[in-house]
Amino acid sequence: MKSRWIVTAVCAASCLAAIAPLGAQNVPRRADAQSQQWTAPRTPDGQVDIQGYWRQTNNVTTYSLEQGEAHRAVHIRITGQRAATGKPIVDPPDGRIPYLPWAAEKFAYLVSVHEGPEHAVDLDPVARGFMEGVPRINLQTGFQILQMPNQVVFLYEYGHHYRVVPLDGRPHLDSSVKLWMGDSRGHWEGNTLAIDVTNHNDQTWFDQVGAFHGPDLHVVERWTFTSVDRLDYEATLTDPKVFSRPWVVAMNYAREKEDGYEQLEHAVWEGNKSVELMVRPKGDAASR
Amino acid sequence: MTSVSATIAGAAVAVNLAAAMLMVPPRTAQGGATVDAAAAIVRTADGKPDLSGVWQVVNTAAWNVESHHASKDVPAGQGVVIDGPIPYQPWALTRRDENFKNRATADPESRCYLPGVPRITYMPYPFQIAQTPKQIAILYEYVHATRNVYMDSEHPRGPIDWWMGDSRAVWNGDTLVVDVVHFNDQTWFDRAGNFHSDALHLVERYTPLSRDHIQYEVTVEDPNVFMRPWKMSMPIYRRIEKDVQLLEYECYTFDGEEFHVTPP
Repeated sequence: MKSRWIVTAVCAASCLAAIAPLGAQNVPRRADAQSQQWTAPRTPDGQVDIQGYWRQTNNVTTYSLEQGEAHRAVHIRITGQRAATGKPIVDPPDGRIPYLPWAAEKFAYLVSVHEGPEHAVDLDPVARGFMEGVPRINLQTGFQILQMPNQVVFLYEYGHHYRVVPLDGRPHLDSSVKLWMGDSRGHWEGNTLAIDVTNHNDQTWFDQVGAFHGPDLHVVERWTFTSVDRLDYEATLTDPKVFSRPWVVAMNYAREKEDGYEQLEHAVWEGNKSVELMVRPKGDAASR
Repeated sequence: MTSVSATIAGAAVAVNLAAAMLMVPPRTAQGGATVDAAAAIVRTADGKPDLSGVWQVVNTAAWNVESHHASKDVPAGQGVVIDGPIPYQPWALTRRDENFKNRATADPESRCYLPGVPRITYMPYPFQIAQTPKQIAILYEYVHATRNVYMDSEHPRGPIDWWMGDSRAVWNGDTLVVDVVHFNDQTWFDRAGNFHSDALHLVERYTPLSRDHIQYEVTVEDPNVFMRPWKMSMPIYRRIEKDVQLLEYECYTFDGEEFHVTPP
């Protein structure tokens, strides 16, 4: 029973993000040509103005990107709750991550042990208090966007993550520099902020059950300002040593309109006990 | 790229780094002539000083905010406390000295916790100021700490125990004055054991001296620990390397797969 409590506690924080308003669209809509037809407001320096607080509307959690029946069954068993039903993978059409055979085998192993791995390296890095990476952070939490000349800043409430996206055309960092949140370079294409994200380390996962990638991950994000209160997001993920083809995660965000809304401090590492509580070293019968 | 041009490029990088480390001297010309500092300050469209950019402190306050001589792995330093020593209440001075003795394990930095304010300002890592008219976000490379400094607004009602406190600011002329409250009692001021309680109240003043320098002054008030308010002051330098950006120092990820820390 102990392990159920533990996983529930770990899930409680991240699953809060799954509370979506009525009418949520579980399969995110993808921006189309029409989203470029309206005249969006501009910042003083001429950028499309997407500043403000945003929250997802797709009932997506970071428990499992694939949201397959097997994963949902585990979620229901350990939490006693109906699993969220948002399905963020919009390509390939079957909603599955197109792992190469060796990677599918590793993914299946990580899924099989994710409730209580023998080693901390097989535990969700976010449960361990580490950074989320891109695109996972966009599925985890609400965020605020600030804009200033030549840059866009994303401030995420969960674990005080932030991203600074330069728009000045500077090159990416040397490939030897690996970052938990990657290295972002952006530019505007009409109403779409396109961000090229490289220099990822190989330590982040896409979800809690073990969807992983390698150090060559390349993420291309498109943030389309579809209407004054809506952002449509797509991330195309490429990693030829791990995936058989590029695949796409999508999300829709609505503007948070609560008067006086501010993000609060969300310290994650400082109270984290997940390794102590969830990792079950071999022979440690008491913790099973 | 040929090996020759690669060498040249490498040398150029080295030169750039060297220039950045030297920093630019204050804009007071030799011979008594002075440059008009006000004219050299970058301003936003609404006429306020524009503090945007990547900044870093160059001093030894991270080790000890008071004057100290060198010891192993600790560079000597002239303190940043004005009219020191820090006016501890007697019991608190004893506690500070115990903290110092036990600093290898007692310092919250050794556990990679959010370091609090003002300590985060003078740790040896860069930070970025992202300024808008209503909100100034300060983003720190060290454990991706953040502060949101809200302009012309009220603190939320306490008690609130936050690692980085709650920051509200106004412009006083060209000085950004930030009032910070709602701290916990878990953070220190430095690696020498200087500490505070959850009654800590800070008033920070960020005054631009030139395009590339900010004078930083902080008044520390905590009636539970100190006999009177006291101040620290230091310059903050712009990181002027081309394309400089924040990277990451994820302190708690470096100690191997089984690493985890549980407070006693």
